[in-house]
Amino acid sequence: MSAGPPNQRSDAPDEPGELLQLPMAPRATDIALGELQIVYAFIYARVGNRADAEDLTQQVALKAIPRLREGSPASAIRGYLFATARSVLGGFWSTRLGLSEAELHEDLALAVPQAPPSEERADTVQRILAELSDNYRRVLELRFLHGYSLKEVAAEMHSTVGAVKVMQLRALRAAAKVKVYP
Amino acid sequence: MNKPENRVDKIVSDLLHGRRLRLKGGDAEEKAAITAAARLIGARQGQQRMSPAFRKRLEQAIESAPNQSWLTRRAALVAGFGVAAGVVTGALVGRTLEPAAVAQRQLGGAPIDPIGGRWIDVAAMSDLVEGQGTRVTAGSVGAFLFRRGETVTGVSSICSHLPCELWWNGGQDLLDCPCHPASFTPEGKSTDPTYPLPALNTVRVRVTPAGRVEVLGTA
Repeated sequence: MSAGPPNQRSDAPDEPGELLQLPMAPRATDIALGELQIVYAFIYARVGNRADAEDLTQQVALKAIPRLREGSPASAIRGYLFATARSVLGGFWSTRLGLSEAELHEDLALAVPQAPPSEERADTVQRILAELSDNYRRVLELRFLHGYSLKEVAAEMHSTVGAVKVMQLRALRAAAKVKVYP
Repeated sequence: MNKPENRVDKIVSDLLHGRRLRLKGGDAEEKAAITAAARLIGARQGQQRMSPAFRKRLEQAIESAPNQSWLTRRAALVAGFGVAAGVVTGALVGRTLEPAAVAQRQLGGAPIDPIGGRWIDVAAMSDLVEGQGTRVTAGSVGAFLFRRGETVTGVSSICSHLPCELWWNGGQDLLDCPCHPASFTPEGKSTDPTYPLPALNTVRVRVTPAGRVEVLGTA
């Protein structure tokens, strides 16, 4: 079997006629592949690890792309991809932790990101930390932002590993209550 | 270790080391803390980009996904029969199957498509002996692979009648069931004309540009 010319359409009309050279519109699949970069960042920011982010992004792609219409604008494709991403993330958390849609509402009802969210994400962390008490903020800063081990955090805070573990849990519980999105 | 602070710290440590979320039943009690930890870790390095390797895998997964109207005819043909041999790169066009050759092998049962399936590297092309069955596992999916030239096909290693592991009878070029007198061809077809069993499920197989054989399995 020989490969046809690139982008050859299988449904091209058979009737002879004058052929017009038109610029090839990007396929919905190609647009989606570009948009999936933002979807991946969106998912990673919520699961915090590459392996799960890759699995979930692939699920989004395989679910959404077959349903995209050729000729759809990039904005519509992005919207559909993010709707699918929310559904996939909802399934991920509800399966792993029994989280309900209502609990996920804040996170999953976000508007579709319009730009790479790097600054927004860093800002998010600062907003969460700013709402916490000094000790809670310190333990999360050292552990999450500076990557300290429990021992190092304990030494820094003149405490014990056991106490730091408990403080970390309480700080995370408190962080979960911070309303990140208006 | 069952204390909530220990369980949550184990999850935090895994995430800090780049490992995936491995959650247990009792972790649901700390779901708020766990999602907060995941979000903090996800946000601490700013926007993450897909690695080139993952992007390539993603493109291949999209190209080889079955029954999709937007696929190229060539990719659909290959993927539909469980063999997607380098459909993305032009350099591998020579590895795709001729239509007639494919049709002759369309004997297996329905393909195994695990939910959330992943392409698992199982062997190098050079590991597979022409016409001989090679037992591989892709997570929870067990399969026998068969190489013919530059193409590879695969069938489930579980008998379609009793849930027993088949074995490769190289003397007769058949897959034999140890639990009862039943055999299958490498294409997964039952050999007994008087009591034909359902065909073995096929597995999805592809060959990467680097000559690695991957099976769609589970993580």
